Amino acid sequence: MTTRTTIACSLVLALALVPMATFGQNVDTGSADFSKYVALGDSLTAGFASGGLVETYQRVSYPALINERVKGPDTPFQQPLVSEPGIPPLLRLQSLAPLVIAPQQGQGNPLNLNLPRPYDNLAVPGARVGDVLEVRTDGLFKLVLRPQALPFSMLEQGLALNPTFVTLWIGSNDVLGAATSGIVIDGVTLTPRAAFAQDLQTVAGAIAQSGAGMAIATIADVTTIPFVNTIPPVVVDPATNQPVLVDGQPVPLIGPAGPLTADDKVLLSASQALAQGIGIPAALGGTGQPLDDTHVLNAAEISAVQARTRALNQVIRDVAQQTDAALVDVAAVFDLVAREGIEVGGIEYNTEFLTGGVFSYDGVHATQFGYAFVANLFIEAINEKFGATIPLVDLSDFVFGSDRQVPEGFTAAEAAQAMYTPEAHQQLWEVLRIPPKERLLELKRRRGERPEGPDLQGPDGRSPAPRQIGSIR
Amino acid sequence: MGRRAFTWISRIAVGVALLGMATAPAFAGGFGIFEHGSRAMGMAGAFTAQADDPSAMFHNVGGLAFLDEQELQVGVTLISQTQAELQGANPFPGEGTFAEQESTIFYPPHAYWVQPISPTLNFGFSFNTPFGLATEWENPDTFPGRYISYEAELRVLDLGANLGWKGTPDFGIGFGIIARASDVALKRRIPGQNPFTFQTVDIADVDLDSDFEWGFGGQIGILHRYNNSFSWGLSYRSSMEVDYAGDAAFTQISTGNPQFDAAVAASLPVGQNVPVTTSIDFPDMASLGAAIALGPTSTLEVDVNWTGWSSFETLVIDFDDQVEQMTAIEDVVRREGWDDAYNYRIGFNYGFGNSELRLGYVYDETPQPERAVGPLLPDADRSGFTIGYGFQGARMNTDLALMYLPFDTREVDESMNDFFGTYDITAWLFGVTLGWK
Repeated sequence: MTTRTTIACSLVLALALVPMATFGQNVDTGSADFSKYVALGDSLTAGFASGGLVETYQRVSYPALINERVKGPDTPFQQPLVSEPGIPPLLRLQSLAPLVIAPQQGQGNPLNLNLPRPYDNLAVPGARVGDVLEVRTDGLFKLVLRPQALPFSMLEQGLALNPTFVTLWIGSNDVLGAATSGIVIDGVTLTPRAAFAQDLQTVAGAIAQSGAGMAIATIADVTTIPFVNTIPPVVVDPATNQPVLVDGQPVPLIGPAGPLTADDKVLLSASQALAQGIGIPAALGGTGQPLDDTHVLNAAEISAVQARTRALNQVIRDVAQQTDAALVDVAAVFDLVAREGIEVGGIEYNTEFLTGGVFSYDGVHATQFGYAFVANLFIEAINEKFGATIPLVDLSDFVFGSDRQVPEGFTAAEAAQAMYTPEAHQQLWEVLRIPPKERLLELKRRRGERPEGPDLQGPDGRSPAPRQIGSIR
Repeated sequence: MGRRAFTWISRIAVGVALLGMATAPAFAGGFGIFEHGSRAMGMAGAFTAQADDPSAMFHNVGGLAFLDEQELQVGVTLISQTQAELQGANPFPGEGTFAEQESTIFYPPHAYWVQPISPTLNFGFSFNTPFGLATEWENPDTFPGRYISYEAELRVLDLGANLGWKGTPDFGIGFGIIARASDVALKRRIPGQNPFTFQTVDIADVDLDSDFEWGFGGQIGILHRYNNSFSWGLSYRSSMEVDYAGDAAFTQISTGNPQFDAAVAASLPVGQNVPVTTSIDFPDMASLGAAIALGPTSTLEVDVNWTGWSSFETLVIDFDDQVEQMTAIEDVVRREGWDDAYNYRIGFNYGFGNSELRLGYVYDETPQPERAVGPLLPDADRSGFTIGYGFQGARMNTDLALMYLPFDTREVDESMNDFFGTYDITAWLFGVTLGWK
């Protein structure tokens, strides 16, 4: 070989190595294998926000962000995308004064319905842990799992993809129904610990048995979300937004069991009733009628929800340890957010409704920033557990970026509506798959006022018998 | 020195004092400034064991005992940051973020006057700026650290009255009382979450300005000229606390949404000067140095300086309580948690005829822990390389010094403000000091 040929060959080789060198700079995932990444979970994993599922949020769901950080922006991550204005249509802030939040007009369409395999993000808004094991056709299960073409559970569909890594964040809906409906009934709006443990062990065990690496997240204390904490339990002067004082003391609202205490919570869904004077003493211009039970979470109910959340989180921690999964302690971080707020570059984020930056218009689900923040919690936990160096998500895109481009202005008719419209509340109620109000109240009457019930009974009386996992492989 | 000349010199001194109102960035560790005499600066500040000019009143007041003539010295150090930039990192402000500080020349002055009282007792008056801070980031409308600080100034002016007593022909001890005048200013933006977009937007600019406030302390130093070839010195300057009172002026920034702007206006004390207080514990300092004659006209000195920066534990900006109750304004509490720090100095001078050539090197540790590094003050370890020249005339002497001061790259992976990135700073300092006897 002549010198010239040698140089030419070297140049060709060098040029050929350029893309290899670039490829070689890929993210170090340590002992975690992300060649096939699948996400299982509920609305928080689906990228659900402001009461709906829509592409602009789904594309920045935390699994999509994790996938992007590991594999780059050009690697597709299949999700059940939905066009504007979402399914259900996203809520919109129509006015600050008066405060009006209502669903947008119309409904979005599925954009990825014909994908001939399960989605990489199989999270279904409203899913409880038991639902991961079931073939369901109601609610948004139909959109995400497409049971007509793929009659398999979320877990079965996920395992069919032969995942090498799975993120699992499930359990929020096992306590959320109680917090958002104001009705705490064990086995109905709260999942019993034993049933939760059995189902989670089944799900996580199956994933671990498949050989996939896993990250499991704890659930946040749902009694600290804006839906539960925005409206104070006292009469507020709408002109000043300050408590009305009589003899120097605030006046409690009237709840189903009489005047509310400082430890009771009035749900965001009560806003229309309050606007009509319900819950406000007649002496202060109200009707004197009590607020509905579904609009109030009393102190005992709050304690019950918090106790159950702690119990379920202990189950999650135990399962993470048993399956050698990375534990993403969302609960601990969220406690900090709720208690003190967190600071990002001098900007405080907290759980305040509308201005806290973490929660979207439904007062339950995250903003884009919130989901990006969660993605970083997952990445940090994965990096620590698997010795990976996956780069964190750049939050500045979400700090200074805009979640929604809301049209300027709004009509007087819109402004005349109550702050959190009944439509908005109904939409959330349905997504969370909370039983109808009348049925809940009837169940509560039958069981008495006791918020905590037997621990072994499953939701809707379902028995916690071991589940059989099918296969579509 | 003639009366006329002294009057003229006095006018210069007053002018220099006014220059002292100008601020200076921190170029010794933390927010310290160590360049207060060009003769010492040429030797990288390794001067504790020599202290043989009026700037001894800064470096080691023990040296005042050996100055046996009426003498005036005035000077200034021009400081130019040739590089002061931030490269952002994830998660915030994000990779690809780049920001620079304004390139400005600062000129902290110094002046000293020595008046012998008796053959063994000298009085001295000193004026210098041993601390200072100036950070000003370009493009405050877009600088991602603007919610922490985009412009900060700390101005310090020390006035000292000192006595030096020569206990023996070889041993001097000096004392001084120091009155420290200081003010502080901070500008930052206030962020808000636009509820219509969930976008962080600037809703107000806040400009905090304190009045000049006073703190008091003292210093002591000893200098022992063991023989013609060796001397050593030890000096100590006390810590001083300055309590500041001032005003915060809030200027609303329109977001373009009238509803949101109205809500912001109702939550901020726009158009008011809100009373605000803060406090800084300036650290104590100690220096130990040893100088050895390498030849008839050459000297080598090695110094170790300690600064008690652990006094800078917390920075609290305390707004008026009544305003806090009525608005969304809250006190700012920054847990700085600084550490005590050392710097190490070595200096050499060589005399020829009426001139001296000087060289020096300093390694200066930063007291600032990584978590506290941010736009307000991005400090780092640094090395300083100096060269100096001095000319001794019949009644007047001139000292010049140049320092190249590259800071170590400071990478911030842990931040109390969740503000990550890498800071690179380089500076040049040029000192000139004129003396009259």
